[in-house]
Amino acid sequence: MSEGDAVGHLIPTPDRDSQQWWDALARHEFVLQRCTECETWRWPPREICNRCGCFEARWASVSGRGTLTSWVVNRQAFLPGFPVPYVVVNVRLDEQEDCKLIGSFRGPVEALRGGLPVRAVFEDIDANTTLLAWEPAD
Amino acid sequence: MSQHPFRDRVAIVGVGATPYSKNSGVSTLTMALRAIRLAVEDAGLRLDDIDGVACHRVNDSAPASIVAEAIGKRDLHFFLDQFGGGSTSHAILGNAAMAVATGQAECVVCWRSVNARSEFRMGGTGRPAPDQLEFQYQAPFGYAHPPQQFAMIAREYMLNYGATSEDFGSVAIAQRWYAQRNPRALMRSPLSMDDYLNSRWIVEPLRLFDCCLETDAAVALILTSTERARDLRQIPVTISGAMWGSGHTLFSNRRPDLATSGVAAASQRLWAQAGLGPDEVDVAQIYDAFTPLVLIEMEDFGFCEKGEAGAFVRSGETGLGGSLPVNTHGGHLSEGYVHGLNHCAEAVHQLRGECGERQVEGAEVALTTGQGGYVMGNSSAAVLRRGA
Repeated sequence: MSEGDAVGHLIPTPDRDSQQWWDALARHEFVLQRCTECETWRWPPREICNRCGCFEARWASVSGRGTLTSWVVNRQAFLPGFPVPYVVVNVRLDEQEDCKLIGSFRGPVEALRGGLPVRAVFEDIDANTTLLAWEPAD
Repeated sequence: MSQHPFRDRVAIVGVGATPYSKNSGVSTLTMALRAIRLAVEDAGLRLDDIDGVACHRVNDSAPASIVAEAIGKRDLHFFLDQFGGGSTSHAILGNAAMAVATGQAECVVCWRSVNARSEFRMGGTGRPAPDQLEFQYQAPFGYAHPPQQFAMIAREYMLNYGATSEDFGSVAIAQRWYAQRNPRALMRSPLSMDDYLNSRWIVEPLRLFDCCLETDAAVALILTSTERARDLRQIPVTISGAMWGSGHTLFSNRRPDLATSGVAAASQRLWAQAGLGPDEVDVAQIYDAFTPLVLIEMEDFGFCEKGEAGAFVRSGETGLGGSLPVNTHGGHLSEGYVHGLNHCAEAVHQLRGECGERQVEGAEVALTTGQGGYVMGNSSAAVLRRGA
């Protein structure tokens, strides 16, 4: 297995704020809450906008495009089922500077660099669970 | 400027610590009690004098109420059982000092007790990842442990400010020098840059020697009023300022920059409260669960411009005789990891002039800090001054 290949996963435990996020991913829909009042993308899912205090939001599609702000290469095994080495990336969504997600990386480790344009891909973990991975956009 | 009402009202009058080890062989309750006894003796007080208790923990240690009961408290005036790791270490001090300053309690003991090596390894392998709230957005990717999270911060700091592995290594090396002069320290063999660069990767860009030592130990500190402190055994060390502020959770969309910690904003309040600035600090004990944190916090507390702390450390300025000796006990990297409270203990020892070969001559003002506000979203720190 090369460092960029898909790796092990844990099944997330949704809560009552995040259920719709996980349900949408399982349908291969990449959506985020967006504030009805000030249009701020809200991440992670919350009842309130932390910019304007508005309690209203709608779920809206995002482009699935972003850039790498950071990444790590795991060398020591921390969790069973995650053979090392594997990469975890931090991605800034194109939609909003301060909207950043953690995910896995599909691509050669040599491609990793700050500001690398990436796009989201859906990874089905089981019949009900999908996670986001990121691959170079070019 | 009128004096802040909190400034120098409360003093740290007693310090106690168990030995640091990989296996204490006893419970966290027992260690807490042993450290408290030593701190009480150090202060020249009796257990009966204590009327308040404060600890921080992450479900990994005996509750404050059990410890209070064990030392015979029937009418406790103040208790605090703060959830949190190193980011809350100085928050319990600040809260305990508020209790004393406002008259809620007269004498509060603060402690952290962990079997962090033999029982509950925060960064350990094999432990199920906490899968709750924001962890659900990271744990599924095999990303849930502190070395991974701080490696992510380290990479962004390198990308944004040009920090290098040698910068990180210089932190570990500088602290090891001090540890060699600290009988309590767990790591006392010399460390060279070659040793550092050849150490194994844990999570790139962090190597083995970038990571702290998970340790079994307890540290306790006794706080009382500055007025009362003048009659006690030790030179009082007053709390000139204490802050506990916000930080990053790594996720929230109001925290876009990992290379700047929550301290950048909160430190301004701390300096104002203390009536002091970075230039007046003689010695700093800066939270160092991982080497990059020392550099980031040095910058965010105002000792260096952003991106310049690495060169500052490489030039020897944090060593003994430098302009800002840092982590003179060896820090979490080389002394042991008691989640911030051993930093405060070392600050007190320095201000009392008790540090022997590693003593910073004439130390009057110290900064001591908790984790700079990552992961849990908290930060905390205190400015201490040698009292009259």
